[in-house]
Amino acid sequence: MAARILPVIKLTTKLGIAGGALYVVYDSGLLGSSEQGAVALGKAKAAVPPAVDEWMKYFGVEAQFPTLPKMEFAPLEAWNSGVRWTISSMSDAPTKAVDYTHQSIQYVKDLTK
Amino acid sequence: MSENELGKKWDRCLADAAVKLGTGLGVGIVFSVLFFKRHTWPISLGSGVGLGMAYANCQNDLRSHYMIRKAEKET
Repeated sequence: MAARILPVIKLTTKLGIAGGALYVVYDSGLLGSSEQGAVALGKAKAAVPPAVDEWMKYFGVEAQFPTLPKMEFAPLEAWNSGVRWTISSMSDAPTKAVDYTHQSIQYVKDLTK
Repeated sequence: MSENELGKKWDRCLADAAVKLGTGLGVGIVFSVLFFKRHTWPISLGSGVGLGMAYANCQNDLRSHYMIRKAEKET
């Protein structure tokens, strides 16, 4: 009797766990639109430090991780300014090449005088 | 579409992609452990589905600016 019921209970438990996981995912809006996903990520980011603190207190580890130094570097701004500099240099390149050529020719002429 | 709006949309897209990839991975792991004897393919399938959903959402979000909605058409 028990031998027949056990696989059924096992399957029911597995289905329950899988169904619960799917329900939690659906209910928390993780499979919804972009806005819902961004909100869920924000909530997760906000929830991680207190959760880490709780676990550290639970295990009796009182050490504090050093905070990351705040960098003033903004990658997007640096990239954008780099692109602008590259394009403006490329657009100025022919004019500058002509100028440098004239200057070098003048320099060589002055040397040979 | 202004640059600010476009930037916000891209931020939302990336955040959504991270969330959906993680969710797909998690659900794939659960199914792999429970039903499929710890094979890798449910994990890959879950991650792929998550990424695909994020891509579709992102595409819809980026195109939505240029869609003429029925309510706007009627007014």
